[in-house]
Amino acid sequence: MKIRDIAIRAGRSLRQAKARTLLTSLAIGVGAFTIVLSLAVGAGGRTYVSNIISSNTNIHEIIVQPKQDKINGAAKPQKYTDDAVIDYGAGYTMKLLKQSDLDKISKISGVKSITPDYIVTAKYITGINNEKYRVGVTTILEGLKLEFEAGSKDGVENGGIIISDRYVSVLGYKNATDMIGKNIQIAVEKGSDSPLNPETKLFEFKVVGVTKKSAMAIMPSNGVQLAPSEMEKLFNYNQGGTSLANSYPDVVVITDDNVNSKDIKNIINDMGYDAQTAEDLMSFIFQFINVLQGILIGFGALAVLTSVFGIINTQYISVLERTQQIGLMKALGMRRRDIGRLFKLEAAWIGLLGGSIGAGLAVIGGMIANPHISKWLGIGNISLIIFEPLSVTIVIIGLVIVSVTSGILPARKAAKLDPIEALRTE
Amino acid sequence: MIEVKHITKTYGKKDSVFVALSDISFVIPDGASVAILGKSGSGKSTLMHTMSGLDHPETGEVIIDGQNILALSQKEIDKFRSHKMSFIFQSFFVQAKETCYDNVSLPLEIAGVAPSRRRSKIEAALTAVELIDKKKSKARTLSGGQKQRLAVARAIVNSPQILFADEPTGNLDSVTGAVVEDLLFNYNKQNKITLIVVTHDPDLANRCDIQIHIKDGKIESIEGLK
Ligand SMILES: Nc1ncnc2c1ncn2[C@@H]1O[C@H](COP(=O)(O)OP(=O)(O)O)[C@@H](O)[C@H]1O
Ligand SMILES: [Mg+2]
Repeated sequence: MKIRDIAIRAGRSLRQAKARTLLTSLAIGVGAFTIVLSLAVGAGGRTYVSNIISSNTNIHEIIVQPKQDKINGAAKPQKYTDDAVIDYGAGYTMKLLKQSDLDKISKISGVKSITPDYIVTAKYITGINNEKYRVGVTTILEGLKLEFEAGSKDGVENGGIIISDRYVSVLGYKNATDMIGKNIQIAVEKGSDSPLNPETKLFEFKVVGVTKKSAMAIMPSNGVQLAPSEMEKLFNYNQGGTSLANSYPDVVVITDDNVNSKDIKNIINDMGYDAQTAEDLMSFIFQFINVLQGILIGFGALAVLTSVFGIINTQYISVLERTQQIGLMKALGMRRRDIGRLFKLEAAWIGLLGGSIGAGLAVIGGMIANPHISKWLGIGNISLIIFEPLSVTIVIIGLVIVSVTSGILPARKAAKLDPIEALRTE
Repeated sequence: MIEVKHITKTYGKKDSVFVALSDISFVIPDGASVAILGKSGSGKSTLMHTMSGLDHPETGEVIIDGQNILALSQKEIDKFRSHKMSFIFQSFFVQAKETCYDNVSLPLEIAGVAPSRRRSKIEAALTAVELIDKKKSKARTLSGGQKQRLAVARAIVNSPQILFADEPTGNLDSVTGAVVEDLLFNYNKQNKITLIVVTHDPDLANRCDIQIHIKDGKIESIEGLK
């Protein structure tokens, strides 16, 4: 008997028991729905995160921190070393990097530049209307991709400043474009002065760019950003003469384009520092997504496992109900192998039906929900649910295989049936 | 020519052995109509199953066209049955949920006949049993007599060489039974195929060329052989 004829007969006998076929395949459908949706959410999540990572980081960027003492907050008093430290009391200290550490790191071949993370506490920012506002001042990072409302990064090295669009109206400007080229001042206190009445100096900068909140930004810059050289000036005024002068909690190392930043990272680690590439810092998000996806797929797999018993049960009952039909087919010379195939193909149809229904509903549901989810999370028109045709196809094929496997035992029972017994009526 | 040689078939184990067929031998010439007669439980169906290779006796041979079919492999005997034999049963065994067309199509599909060559054969068989107008009807809508005529169509569609009929009229009234009998004997005469009818109805048996009487698994007498 030809496979095509067997497949047609298999499909026909399923149509003759519509309700049973549908209910059996629905169990598989639940599994298909869950698995397809979790794969889509995982794919969407990973794409979203890798977009964030590539927008926020530079593959040539390494963040270096001093290796902190393992035993922190020890009951025993600690021996003095000439390390730069911040002492929080109670034995808790945080080590800082010193200029000598920076010199050592910059000597490593493959290191292009090294930018300390200058900590500057600004007093306020003020502009055309002389209103004073608090503001966070950070160093502009080479790898960070910014989205501009107006202007650009150009000219930031020569006394320029990049400012968040949140400050446009409060500082008295009509709009972002209006602010470009205008001078604003940042007030910084002299750290070495008496904290009771410190000297305050106004640093003036020219606005070169106004940033807007980006869907891809992991830490939206809502303050101002300066070039490292400008930051250094502010830092020296702010921290010069204090115990924190020339010491930094971390530095950003940029490697040459032709080297693998992971190799440099290992070298720096071997020197006794704590170095991480930007990717390392982001990878926990991937792990989180993978675990979440794994749990969802687990639920799907559980549904599939349940449906396996459903298929076995349905097909066993079908064999019992159709003993005379099987007996007749055998009497007419149908081979055991073909009888087995008939029942396995019925199981395959059930799997295909259930898999397609479940996957179809998942795709339709996902496409309807996607814009709402993106809107709700405020990430613009970025998709968090991405259906990959290949993985949907693989899920359906996989479920067909699972169904056929479940159908093996009942099919074997049918193939082994004794036609004489099956056709006995008296 | 069908030669049955020393067939013995037993059921049960050692202490409770039941001999269903005991040293059965006879010869049937090609194109003959044969009645296997006997009371219920005498072993008629068992003999028919053995002659068609469905059942396997302990000893003996069934030689058809010079070949002992009991010595064939399962695959070969299946192929032999699908091409050369067909069956009609007392309880019809038509598939109630399938159309008449699909019921008749089954033996052709099993024998691997190409789809393009099936239609004309199926329609010819349905025409022969006067069910062509029921082609698309589900078999469950048919009366008992029509169901058995459908079974006849299914039995003749692949032009068998031997047609086995086990109590073909047992579930029918005399009028509808006579129609089915006529169909079988006409087909036997026109196509010169061997017709083997298992029955306990003497009138049906008398229409056959040969009558083999069975009693308690043994041949009591054979009539009609020249
Ligand atoms: N599987 C079996 N196990 C035991 N006895 C059987 C089996 N099949 C048939 N028989 C016995 O063999 C005898 C012949 O059966 P059968 O050929 O069906 O008789 P008939 O068709 O003449 O009515 C009966 O007595 C029946 O009880
Ligand atoms: Mg019988």
